[in-house]
Amino acid sequence: MSNLDKLKSLLVDVFLLDPSAVRMDLKREEIDSWDSLGVVSLEVGLKETFGSQITPQEAMAIKSVQDIITLLSSKGIDFSS
Amino acid sequence: MKAADLGKATIWCTPSVSVYVQSHLSIPLSEPLTNFPADTRTLIAIGGGYLLDESKAWIQDKAPNVRLVAIPSLWGSGAEASPIIVQNRNGAKVIRMDAKFLPFARVIWPELARTIPEARAKEALGDCWANALEGFLSPLADDRLRGDIALLMQAMRRLPLGNHPDWFELSAQASAAQAQSSVGLVHGIAHTLEGPLIAAQPDQGWGHAKLCAVYLWPVTRFNFQHNNANRELLQKYGLDPDALLKIARDLYSDGAYRKALPLLQSLWTAVLRDRCTRTNSVLVRAPHLDYFTTEAFV
Repeated sequence: MSNLDKLKSLLVDVFLLDPSAVRMDLKREEIDSWDSLGVVSLEVGLKETFGSQITPQEAMAIKSVQDIITLLSSKGIDFSS
Repeated sequence: MKAADLGKATIWCTPSVSVYVQSHLSIPLSEPLTNFPADTRTLIAIGGGYLLDESKAWIQDKAPNVRLVAIPSLWGSGAEASPIIVQNRNGAKVIRMDAKFLPFARVIWPELARTIPEARAKEALGDCWANALEGFLSPLADDRLRGDIALLMQAMRRLPLGNHPDWFELSAQASAAQAQSSVGLVHGIAHTLEGPLIAAQPDQGWGHAKLCAVYLWPVTRFNFQHNNANRELLQKYGLDPDALLKIARDLYSDGAYRKALPLLQSLWTAVLRDRCTRTNSVLVRAPHLDYFTTEAFV
């Protein structure tokens, strides 16, 4: 499974989305379940899925799926393939 | 606190201890929700989590000038030491949190432990241990809190897994601790299933404590198996994960687990959405239901 597919699967599970609703241009304000608890779940899920240490501050600063990709890329996670 | 400090006081207590309480205290009993004496300055609430939380809510919503003295008659919820109010409304849990919900004072009356049947005393420890362990593993816990909870769990390990008056204090500390971080999947399942289980199986004695006791072991195994960092975290603070698993196993009931399983399956989506589940130390995903239906518990 590519890192992009892992991320899509993670978003489905963290925010309880229908898989068809996952888009790479999704923003936080478009997802009701991306609330403060969603930030916590996202932080846990990103650590479990990608092995990267995400600080609470970094998790709170994420406002879109693209932000997630940018953050993880900065930690050496490749989304190009 | 002296009796004179109470002003005009009334007691609301759970029926299981009312005879004992009346034989030891000369303060009148009343039912605040229906018959609260005028000019009362202090409400003394004596009971388990349900009564204590209803007292906290009643004072907050109806009588904010009345002081609440909370005396637990059962351990587990630690409601007397928590800024959280949990109420049952229409088969679902309504949860509020605010520092102003803390009682004016909490009192431990050790002799009340004698009124608790042994089976109930042990079952209530499921809630106590779930509060401590989930509070420790919570992604919202910091090093300081984990250190405090680690010391607490070491003290809890020294007590028997049954009726002992020292559980009142440790239970209160566990509740106060998890309020500083969060709980997790044990509570997410307990909150989701309690109402439907009571409705579907009214003669099985279902309640929050029993559900915590039943699910503590399966969920702890799940958390350990799906993220080894949980074991490492406990070890970092001098705790033995396998010893904690054994405690959880001692609280577990296979028969009760099987009885609840159909509802766990049908309500799994609701479990995933529960706010407690969403702060579990392991991300709980839809396919994880398979773990709870196919693992060694069944």
